[in-house]
Amino acid sequence: MIGLKGTLNVIDNSGAIVAECIRVLSGARFARAGDEIVCVVKRARPINPNLIGTQAATQKVKKGDVRHALVVRTKKEMGRPDGRYIRFDDNACILLNQKKEPLGTRILGVVAAELRMKNWMKAVSLAPRVV
Amino acid sequence: MPAKRLPLSSPTKHRINDEVMLEICSFSGHKIYPSKGKTYVRIDSRSFRFINGKSESYFLQRLNPRKIKWTVIYRRLNKKGITEEIAKKRSRRTVKHERAVAGVSWDAIRAKRNQKPDARAAARQAAIAKSKEAKKAAAATKKTTTGSAAQGAKVSKQGAKGFAPKAAATSR
Repeated sequence: MIGLKGTLNVIDNSGAIVAECIRVLSGARFARAGDEIVCVVKRARPINPNLIGTQAATQKVKKGDVRHALVVRTKKEMGRPDGRYIRFDDNACILLNQKKEPLGTRILGVVAAELRMKNWMKAVSLAPRVV
Repeated sequence: MPAKRLPLSSPTKHRINDEVMLEICSFSGHKIYPSKGKTYVRIDSRSFRFINGKSESYFLQRLNPRKIKWTVIYRRLNKKGITEEIAKKRSRRTVKHERAVAGVSWDAIRAKRNQKPDARAAARQAAIAKSKEAKKAAAATKKTTTGSAAQGAKVSKQGAKGFAPKAAATSR
């Protein structure tokens, strides 16, 4: 349940570390796993101006950037169609670009299977583990 | 996530029909039927299943299920309620099979084993008498052939080949 001012860990390699939700795009009050949100990057990895090539390409965001993001893990338990409830230990998201594609090239950590149910196939394919 | 087909002997899951897995609570050890309980996924990607909020609460307080009396693991450790299981178990007996040995057939072994004691004594006497006879005969033939002792002198292997006999040692 991510709402306004909700903080999420960013678990891709886009360079952001912590993001804060400013809008839930579906119009609902809260976002669950598999929902898109607009967020502000609160903390990001320092961008090294000396890096060139592929390393520089992965550091795409800096602090204060406003981006779209996809919620991938929530601490609030979510119900599955088979009656199970599942919850994670933290709130996590991955950043998206304007075309709803993941901004980063890798995802680190577990991701909820709700992404597959809501058709975020690119994110699911990047994820090392889907639970 | 599609359920993985695990063998029925798996400790964490039991199949109740082809689609559904019967889970086991990570804390209490009780079976979790469908639509019961919660799954908790930790940051290190390890997932835990709980049958109810009680088990979940104990787990998150990091209490040890081995010390909580109503958990399956405590009962197993302290051997509670196992007496009926032990009574049912029957001890296994190993069956001894008689076998022939190389050189002696099974029938010969059995004949010797089943031989009556007096028959055995009689056989022994007969054997003793026979050996005595043989010894007497051997003693008699020895006396008659002592004259040909020189013929029976030792010839070394090298001597037979044609070499001179080895010189006898005088010192050492």
